[in-house]
Amino acid sequence: MTHRALSIRRYLPDQDQASYWQRYEVPADDSTSLLDALHYVKEELDSTLSYRWSCRMAICGSCGVMVNGIPRLGCKTFLRDLPHELRIEPLAHFPVARDLIVDMDVFLDHLAAVKPYLIEDAAVGTFDPAAPTPHRQTPAQLARYRQFANCINCGLCYSACPQFGLNPEFLGPGALALAHRYNLDSRDSGKQARMPVLNRHEGVWSCTFVGFCSQVCPKHVDPAAAVNQGKVEAAKHTLIALFKG
Amino acid sequence: MNRPPDAFPRLPRSWWLKHRYFKAYMLREATVLPLIFFLLCLMGGLWALYRGEEAWAAWLVFMRSPLVVALNLLALAASLYHAATFFVLFPRVMPLRLGRRAIAPQAIVAGQWVGVMIIGLLFFWLFGRT
Amino acid sequence: MQQGDFDVVVVGGGGAGLRAAIAAAEQARAEGRPQRIALLSKVYPMRSHTVAAEGGAAAVTSHEDSIEAHFHDTVAGGDWLVEQGVADYFVRHAYRELVQMERWGCPWSRQEDGNIQVRRFGGMKTARTWFAADKSGFHMLHTLFQTSLKYPEIERFDEYFVLDLVLHEGAIAGIVALEVATGELITLGAKAVVLATGGAGRLFRFNTNAGIVTGDGMALAYRHGAALRDMEFVQYHPTGLPGSGILITEACRGEGGILLNKAGHRYLQDYGLGPETPLGEPQNKYMELGPRDKLSQAFWQEQQAGRTGTFGDSDVVYLDLRHLGAAHIKERLPFICELAQAYINVDPIHEPIPIRPAVHYTMGGIETDDQCETRIEGLYAAGECASVGLHGANRLGSNSLTELLVFGRLAGERASQRASSRTHTSPHLLLEAANHQQQALSQRCERGNGGENWVTLKRAMVQAMENGCGIYRTTDGMQTALDTIRQLRERFRNVRVSDTSRAYNTELLECLELGFGLDVAEAACLGALERRESRGAHQRLDAGLTTRDDVNYLRHSQVFYRGEQAAELCWQAVDIRFSPPAERVYGDAAKEKHA
Repeated sequence: MTHRALSIRRYLPDQDQASYWQRYEVPADDSTSLLDALHYVKEELDSTLSYRWSCRMAICGSCGVMVNGIPRLGCKTFLRDLPHELRIEPLAHFPVARDLIVDMDVFLDHLAAVKPYLIEDAAVGTFDPAAPTPHRQTPAQLARYRQFANCINCGLCYSACPQFGLNPEFLGPGALALAHRYNLDSRDSGKQARMPVLNRHEGVWSCTFVGFCSQVCPKHVDPAAAVNQGKVEAAKHTLIALFKG
Repeated sequence: MNRPPDAFPRLPRSWWLKHRYFKAYMLREATVLPLIFFLLCLMGGLWALYRGEEAWAAWLVFMRSPLVVALNLLALAASLYHAATFFVLFPRVMPLRLGRRAIAPQAIVAGQWVGVMIIGLLFFWLFGRT
Repeated sequence: MQQGDFDVVVVGGGGAGLRAAIAAAEQARAEGRPQRIALLSKVYPMRSHTVAAEGGAAAVTSHEDSIEAHFHDTVAGGDWLVEQGVADYFVRHAYRELVQMERWGCPWSRQEDGNIQVRRFGGMKTARTWFAADKSGFHMLHTLFQTSLKYPEIERFDEYFVLDLVLHEGAIAGIVALEVATGELITLGAKAVVLATGGAGRLFRFNTNAGIVTGDGMALAYRHGAALRDMEFVQYHPTGLPGSGILITEACRGEGGILLNKAGHRYLQDYGLGPETPLGEPQNKYMELGPRDKLSQAFWQEQQAGRTGTFGDSDVVYLDLRHLGAAHIKERLPFICELAQAYINVDPIHEPIPIRPAVHYTMGGIETDDQCETRIEGLYAAGECASVGLHGANRLGSNSLTELLVFGRLAGERASQRASSRTHTSPHLLLEAANHQQQALSQRCERGNGGENWVTLKRAMVQAMENGCGIYRTTDGMQTALDTIRQLRERFRNVRVSDTSRAYNTELLECLELGFGLDVAEAACLGALERRESRGAHQRLDAGLTTRDDVNYLRHSQVFYRGEQAAELCWQAVDIRFSPPAERVYGDAAKEKHA
């Protein structure tokens, strides 16, 4: 068991106008995650430190923070893998609500904007509880979108995306990846309905393929690929519209 | 968005200096600068050809000056670097399939380099024999 | 203070809550009277603990299977403490709910021909568990959340912490909640309320649960007179990672994984689950595909006999998947690989995973009737927070994901129907309740006067529960746990939080959760102590009490809140209309019995 120093950027909206750095010493061994370290601070040193967390197994997406300038999940980041000096900050590019907690409403608004649900073809007919019939979907058809369905909405990609940082109206990697997930689903017919939102400046065209979003994604969703595949689709959509007049 | 725009932190102009990954990205974007120089040279050459023999000779002299050669070598390096990054990104933007199987990204990257070599050899065959 | 009036208020944004909200919206549309539906959750809905469910959801799917078989597995799995009418309704509605999820886009795993793929699960007679790789709960939750965005009548209140229910003449009238972001209170008037707040696994020190699983909703209803039923039945999942308790899905065993003790022996054959099934040929209801209670108990026995290995500070046995092959493991169990690698640095493709039992699921909960309504008129409950009576003394893996769909929908529909025939009560009651809550909060945050520390109390609670209400229990142990919890409840009155700020006061929230948890813990200890028999997940070591006693205890325990006084326990008859109690056996013993 060794001791490690954490510098955490604190912000208490009730008391202070500005944020400040606070340093804590925490015990750490080989299995100590950053989230464990934050728990230690809260329970032993300073109960006023606020942060989000829940599942501690990298699936609920609550505990994203900046670790030495890089967005990461606290529960899947281990002190053993990190340099000795640790600077922990709230996720970049979002408004800070308090300490390590950011306001994520903008991300949820962007998610909702892309119609992220299955839009079935009218010919399929509505679901009948008396005679429930599932769609068929082969493993190959599933494989086309499965990767993009693995997004846990942690928001790390938004903190990695300078285009979102420059313009929060940009739908951003997570929402665009989700839209692409449904566009690729063999059961879905909603691409036309989603295109007006995707095929505009704040949609896919704000992306300049920096690609850092995919680097930081803890679930290997590769949102940058989704967004840029979305550009190809958007371009096709524009061309087709042009020919149709 | 129901949030005042000033609630969002402003990204400073120097944002790309904060991280190695962003610097590499900016380098990729900056490859366009030497390439612009190369294109200007090329267009100058065409213009000189149109103007006549004297202009063409002057252009050749200009092209042999060490600074111009250095800048064009830089442009070559930049275009190769850009190609390398672009080729890596390509299979993610256009995942290709053969029948029901997805082609491995490495195969697509390799295929692109093979394409570059074929075109290079073709040009060498066309222009390199004099 | 923010105020609002809604037809239906759903508390909890996990699988059951989202399903209830969607069902209420659809019911209202079908009746042609649009309703306002509020969905409150203390976290963003996709953070809810449904997200961590891995293995899958059960429903009779193939032609060889039958709803009678699913019914029987559930009833026997619950050691006959199951409400049989409820189980019957459940198995009949399971398939349609999973198909409904499919039609909403859930990425279920498939067979080559495009049909749904099913896998084996413990205690089930045949393969009937639908799955989405090993992230079934994650995909279900996100599908439900995303689908809920289609319904503008569902108004979300993300990060609102419910402090109290408000009743008027014995019926629900609304709720008081804390807006976590601002510390402001809000009141929502409601004609019907659905509680879908999840379980209480965090009462225990070592568990597979997320930090939010603190029993809040159970305590809310309990404090207003609803019974907490069968709370002594706490499920230990046999395979959690040592150290953290992170869940390693039962699907590992469904796919053919085996359990070994330190000597490499498949010890389950020594506990009535054998004979040993050949490697790579898992057989339903044999060996590793026995029910969770039996498997966790077998671990305890091995531990007592000194046949467990060690990993860090933990005694462990080993889950071996290696014979399944890298390709199969990666296709079916990718998340398990990720978890084992990240949290204990073990690659399941090349090494057995050290595992040990961890508290996983609360079989009991808020007592409801077969329509999901509690004793409080207009208050419904669904999912893990509820005791609709499906799980009895032990839940079968993959029944709970289906449960939250079947009963989430039912609760939502019933709530919507009730709302269409009611009017709102006067807002005075709600304001009064809110003022009362405001005072209570201010008191908690008062500076000075020393007071108790919530961290100390929380640690004492989880330790007491682990010591007294573990896999095997003794009268002395349970009595000590109950006494400790009662002392802690008293000490809790003097708890003070040092954070007095309003925005995101997470210390205050943890403290409130502890208060809820202590009430629920008392009910669990009392039920355990009074159930003087061994059944399902409740196993006693006391002489004479180590077997099931149907004469005296084929009954549900019901615990009632009595304020600062000790809680009271009553017994309630079990619905056994279809299947009379019989011996609960697995492995070859079951074959002999049926022969």
